[in-house]
Amino acid sequence: MIFPFSAIVDQDEMKTGLILNVIDPSIGGLLIMGEKGTGKSTAVRALADLLPEIEAVKDCPFTCDPSGVLCSKCTEDLQNEGHLHPTRKKMRVVELPLGITEDRLVGTLDIEHAIKKGEKRFEPGILADANRNFLYVDEVNLLEDHIVDLLLDSAAMGVNTVEREGVSFVHPARFMLVGTMNPEEGDLRPQLLDRFGLCVGVTSLCDKNQRIEILRRRAAFDSNQDAFYKQWNGEQQKLSGRISAARSVVDSIPMDDGVLEKIVSVTASLKLDGHRADIVMMKTSRALAAFRGLSTIGSDEIRDAAWFALRHRLKRLPFEEIGAEHEKVTEALALI
Amino acid sequence: MRCSSFVGHDEAKLSLLLNAIDPRCGGVLFVGEKGCGKSTLARSLRSILPSGTPFVELPLNVTDEALLGTIAIEDTLRTGARVFQHGLFSRAHGGVLFIDDVNLLSPEIVSLILEVQGRGENIVEREGLRMRHPASFILVASMYPEEGDLSPHLLDRFGMCAGFERLTDAGERMAVVRAAICQDQADSDLELTERIEAARKILPKVAVRDRFLEYIADICINYNVAGHRADLYLLAAARAHVAFKGNEDVTREDINTVASLVLMHRRRELQPPPDQQEEPPPEHNHEPPPDKQQEQQPEPPKNNHEDQEHDQPPKPHELPPQKEEVFAVGQQFRLKRIAFRKDRMERAASGRRTRTRARNRGGRYVKSVLRKNRDIAIDATLRAAAPFQSVRKRTDVVVINEEDFRYKRKERKMGHLAIFIVDGSGSMGAQKRMVAAKGAVQSLLIDCYQKRDTVAMIVFRKDRAEVVLEPTASVEFAARRLREIPVGGKTPLGAGLLEAYRLLERVGRKRPETRFLVILITDGRANQSVTGMPPDEEIARMATLMSEQPGIDIIVVDTEEKGRFTTIDRAASIASMLGADYYTIEDLKSDYLVDIVRKSTPEF
Repeated sequence: MIFPFSAIVDQDEMKTGLILNVIDPSIGGLLIMGEKGTGKSTAVRALADLLPEIEAVKDCPFTCDPSGVLCSKCTEDLQNEGHLHPTRKKMRVVELPLGITEDRLVGTLDIEHAIKKGEKRFEPGILADANRNFLYVDEVNLLEDHIVDLLLDSAAMGVNTVEREGVSFVHPARFMLVGTMNPEEGDLRPQLLDRFGLCVGVTSLCDKNQRIEILRRRAAFDSNQDAFYKQWNGEQQKLSGRISAARSVVDSIPMDDGVLEKIVSVTASLKLDGHRADIVMMKTSRALAAFRGLSTIGSDEIRDAAWFALRHRLKRLPFEEIGAEHEKVTEALALI
Repeated sequence: MRCSSFVGHDEAKLSLLLNAIDPRCGGVLFVGEKGCGKSTLARSLRSILPSGTPFVELPLNVTDEALLGTIAIEDTLRTGARVFQHGLFSRAHGGVLFIDDVNLLSPEIVSLILEVQGRGENIVEREGLRMRHPASFILVASMYPEEGDLSPHLLDRFGMCAGFERLTDAGERMAVVRAAICQDQADSDLELTERIEAARKILPKVAVRDRFLEYIADICINYNVAGHRADLYLLAAARAHVAFKGNEDVTREDINTVASLVLMHRRRELQPPPDQQEEPPPEHNHEPPPDKQQEQQPEPPKNNHEDQEHDQPPKPHELPPQKEEVFAVGQQFRLKRIAFRKDRMERAASGRRTRTRARNRGGRYVKSVLRKNRDIAIDATLRAAAPFQSVRKRTDVVVINEEDFRYKRKERKMGHLAIFIVDGSGSMGAQKRMVAAKGAVQSLLIDCYQKRDTVAMIVFRKDRAEVVLEPTASVEFAARRLREIPVGGKTPLGAGLLEAYRLLERVGRKRPETRFLVILITDGRANQSVTGMPPDEEIARMATLMSEQPGIDIIVVDTEEKGRFTTIDRAASIASMLGADYYTIEDLKSDYLVDIVRKSTPEF
């Protein structure tokens, strides 16, 4: 049984970062940086409980969106039958284990089917599971380079194209990449870093009462998990209610020119490359507004979104202290 | 050996008892010298665990497949359906995973253990297999620290840590020998087992009052531990201790008894009180950024009043600064590519600098290839053979032809280790040589960062050399350490080389495939020996030792400003002793360096 998300003491930034991705999956994931034993993995795994249902093609292993990009199989079905069978599916947190081999990541020939039937059939891999879901990599900085390359490829294209062992298959692979890492163990490649929509840092809580509360809750969870679940059920329901309410309104929150100007003024003053930062910041402030129950994006949302979206995108020499840029961002944000 | 016949080491024994009572205590790491009974005691845990509890030993040469599970060849070939062969993680579920000499484990295996243990479940997505099984186990391990360090991550996963001192008491030593001779073979430890069983029954009833939770939190805050695992393990250990005594109420006493076991390996260096510090260097003036680990807090420059040398007057031409100083990092420059010489040794590295192939069967299976080697990739071979089974008239076994064979290509993430040996002596303070040197190191670090090397740093000054940065993949961490290097005192260059040699040996033992780049940054004015030999002779001896090690490239960076009055290049003569390439800081900035390296590495 997983520790309930709402029972995690404090670490609000990390929790909000995850929730924003549920509200708007196109934000593109979250990187959680922090020291060991601060509940990074606990939070990501606990998120599964709060995830909403999404519309998907029935029995499609790729969770194809009936009104979106389709896999080879669904495309064929649509051509043959003229329509697809939609169903509701709960969003998931799919884990990518460090020891994964290439064939299981991208998918490959189905051996058993081939032996028994003598036919070549595609067997989906982790990228198939991950489509429209969270793809979670614990200790993402320890992932092998060749696996990272494959991840980057499909993240950039949004589709996974397989041509191996005589099977050809294409399926959508849009996922929210969630990674945890301890920066002491090594740095992350810049291309991979940029793939994470948002980034948060976590540290151990130093407040005594919070630490006691962690102990108390953990002890209660360990001694009787069912009772602990019941006790937190109310909070969990409340939070998932808030999330689905935010999901239903997020698209209707206007992105007027005033907001866009403010965002661009921040990113321009920080001399950021490319437009990904602007777009992510826009989406994040909108999701924040939705989560906070607002109907318009205010300056607070823009400021808060900036920290989520820009922390890992600021240009600096590999060893420049993060402190320096901290000031730069604060300065840039003071203007809006 | 039975746990109760083990002589001495009461703390270590206690840690085993507590773990036998409650696995939530999180296992234990025994640290100490060779031959003082760490493994023997650890293995005795078997005799006090409830019967049927798995106790699985993990050999150091374990492969990913053996650990995670793999495809069962025979069954798969016979049935044509993929059959999973369980690995060590599966066998250890619900029990203990024991690792002797855990610090010698390869980093790849360590990361797999961390991942699976943290998740409590093994997710297998490899070799065409997809399956998951629960895998919760505690780690029990031993290590002899001089042979290598343990990743702080893995260290944190051990609930407890106990040190093994050599027994000095003659009576105790005799008792050890006696116990070893009359090896009682009994597997069970009846008396203890009964007590443990009783304690397990009491355990659910053991309560902790709020003020003791507060006490635990206080201790952990005072010890400045990273993360929150310490608090949780301390609570578990205290409760198990109460149960062992047959009580039901946690007291301060219980917490105190187990605290050292839980905290020994978690304590972080605390900042000394401000009055002991030298003038704070300018780098420390701004607040540490909130989202950096506090763990990386700088080691403050040490107080040098007591051991500043008084006996030798400073030489007139290089007045050492009276105080230690921390110099700023000099101007960085874009560095041209430094390449390692390619050698013909087969290796298993996937770094950016050199490409080598797997020599042994270790490393991670990344993909299957047609080129023949010793590791057949069963999954890929089957996939190749599968579509032809009906053509080949399969009856009861899968028919595999010569052309179906596929082989595993294995790689290791770990590439190169760049060891910086930085001269921190007083003479480096003259004309701000240190500023320029730091600039040079910084530029080299950037190069390492781009090539994804691991780096380590050794500083020598006064009467000794010190590893200020253990091998790490975080170059950012290294850069921070660089900024903190103080300058002052004599130049024990030999000590610096000796420390580097020890590090090479330690790392080489753990990962024989590592390539080393040793970068010595000095003005070459060695004037202090550690062995009593004249400094020059000492350096010559060390140079011979170093040059005998395989797989090392050495670069000497001379920090001395070459003015009109310089007559000899001391650093240059050291470079020639080491068989090293010699550069001045000016050289590093130019393309010249690249040319030199290219010359010796035609492949690049």
